[in-house]
Amino acid sequence: MISGFILVAIFIVGALGPHFVSPALVHLTDEWRNHPPTITDWNLFGTDAIGENLLVRTLYGLHTSEITALAATVMATLIGVALGSIAGYRGGWLDVAIMRVTDLLGVFPLIVVFLAVYTYFTPVTAWKATFALTIFLWIPVARVVRAEISSIREREFVQAALSLGASDRRVFLRHLLPTASGTIIIAATALLAQVFVLEATLDFFRLGVSTATQNTLGNLIGEGQANVFALGQGWWSWGFPAGVLLVILVCTNLVGDGIAEAIRPPRQR
Amino acid sequence: MGAFILRRLALGFLAMFVALSGSFFFFSAKFLPLSESPILHNYWVWLRGIPSGQSLNDGLLGGHLVSIVGSAFGRTMLLLALTLVIVVVIAIPVGCLAAAMRGSVVDYVLRIATYIAWAVPVFVVAILFQEGFGRIAGGWGTGWFPSIGWAGQCPNGQGIDPHTFQCPAAGHGFTHVAQVIYHLMLPALALALGFIGLNARYLRNSVVDALDAPYVTVARAKGLPERVVVMRHALRNAFVAFVPAIVSDIGVLFGGALAVDYIFQLGGLGTLFIGLLQLNADGNTPVDTYELQLMLLFAACVMLTASMIGEILLALFDPRTRLD
Repeated sequence: MISGFILVAIFIVGALGPHFVSPALVHLTDEWRNHPPTITDWNLFGTDAIGENLLVRTLYGLHTSEITALAATVMATLIGVALGSIAGYRGGWLDVAIMRVTDLLGVFPLIVVFLAVYTYFTPVTAWKATFALTIFLWIPVARVVRAEISSIREREFVQAALSLGASDRRVFLRHLLPTASGTIIIAATALLAQVFVLEATLDFFRLGVSTATQNTLGNLIGEGQANVFALGQGWWSWGFPAGVLLVILVCTNLVGDGIAEAIRPPRQR
Repeated sequence: MGAFILRRLALGFLAMFVALSGSFFFFSAKFLPLSESPILHNYWVWLRGIPSGQSLNDGLLGGHLVSIVGSAFGRTMLLLALTLVIVVVIAIPVGCLAAAMRGSVVDYVLRIATYIAWAVPVFVVAILFQEGFGRIAGGWGTGWFPSIGWAGQCPNGQGIDPHTFQCPAAGHGFTHVAQVIYHLMLPALALALGFIGLNARYLRNSVVDALDAPYVTVARAKGLPERVVVMRHALRNAFVAFVPAIVSDIGVLFGGALAVDYIFQLGGLGTLFIGLLQLNADGNTPVDTYELQLMLLFAACVMLTASMIGEILLALFDPRTRLD
């Protein structure tokens, strides 16, 4: 779908953008302070209170946010699939133990958990944020994978393979995992959207990555909003990073829904 | 039914106790002044003080905890209540309208709008509303609502009336209630927008499914007007799944309430919690860990109660789920 292409385009821009930015784009002069966006001079997103070009900052922010989100999602999905499939396939005490751990996480709202965890990682950098996000976000993935694997395990083709003497590893890699792959991908895209939002929210509260270390989409929005009150900066300082974040989220959700729609068996009428 | 509730409550309390203990270990290892003594000693002192209420009432830094955290909790609950009212009042007509006019331009536009409404992060909506509808000196928005603060409070000197240079007074009695709602309106609308999107879309799909059911065809064949068909038959059955869905989303709603509370500086749990955590940013300021624990206790109780109510409602509305 179109949103898939938009998303891929944004990711590519984010990944490669900072390498193409030349220092000449940044004018730290008085006349460029708090300048609203114009079409000329690469000033598409306006400038901030000290004259830094916000397009440049947003590109760097997109780069950092994107790496954090993708890395956290991939790692959390890997861990979640591993633990969830062990729990779903074996059952027994391992299953119960993993499920109790997931129940514990449901006690507090997720954002509260992350706000607390981030205090352990001060000063927060993008990789510490990735690590912190991964240690908690594998749990919803594991829940989904466990349910899926334990339901697939009862199906005839798996029982047939087992009765033919197939080893556990073969059954898992050749039968269970490919059948569950649709659900895993849907869970992963939902997780990607959730990671973007969580990470941006934490940076916005200035409890995550700070603008002194790295720009991310979240702390650009936070700094822009604070500066509207403090320094009288214009709406463009938080508006454009917020717009980029919004486009990413809408596209991620659309891609996830599209995949879910494509995988879902056709409805009986 | 009673045994089911009791068992779930017991499990919930156990989980809450373990999680709170875990968070206590966390905070006491990291935050001054507790990080100066061994963790287990601190934990024992805290546990010892719970039955007498001392750990829950006397702050480490000398505050009166229950009144501070309690009033903040009350404000957050008011915000959540107003948000839920707004969500129900707006999402039901929007969802029904989209379902009744399905396939038309109105349906298409509403579907796009609700999709985007759910995708936007809460804090982006909050700052958009704050600058767009709030009164900011020199701002570009319409100044219909106050942009920051609770009734009668102007944090950090913001929110002062530019004409009288004073904080607008809280008033007494009915004026006070009106002022409180006036200050809560913008935060509640910001928080509600996402959930209106989610629930309107959900309701639309439920009503569309219900409208294709055989009993609706019978109702139409009986000659009932379309409005009665939609309202009396389809909506009632769609409601069954809708109400528990609202209550079970309370985790995300609560997180959003914390964020909105901080942005609008309402003096609720969000302001308190994030303010306390920001105190620790330099690692040298003592932070009242008992206060943090009390806040987490309140938050966990809200989540537990909401999930209980959600399950009870589900069992009440849909007899098929009463399996235990």
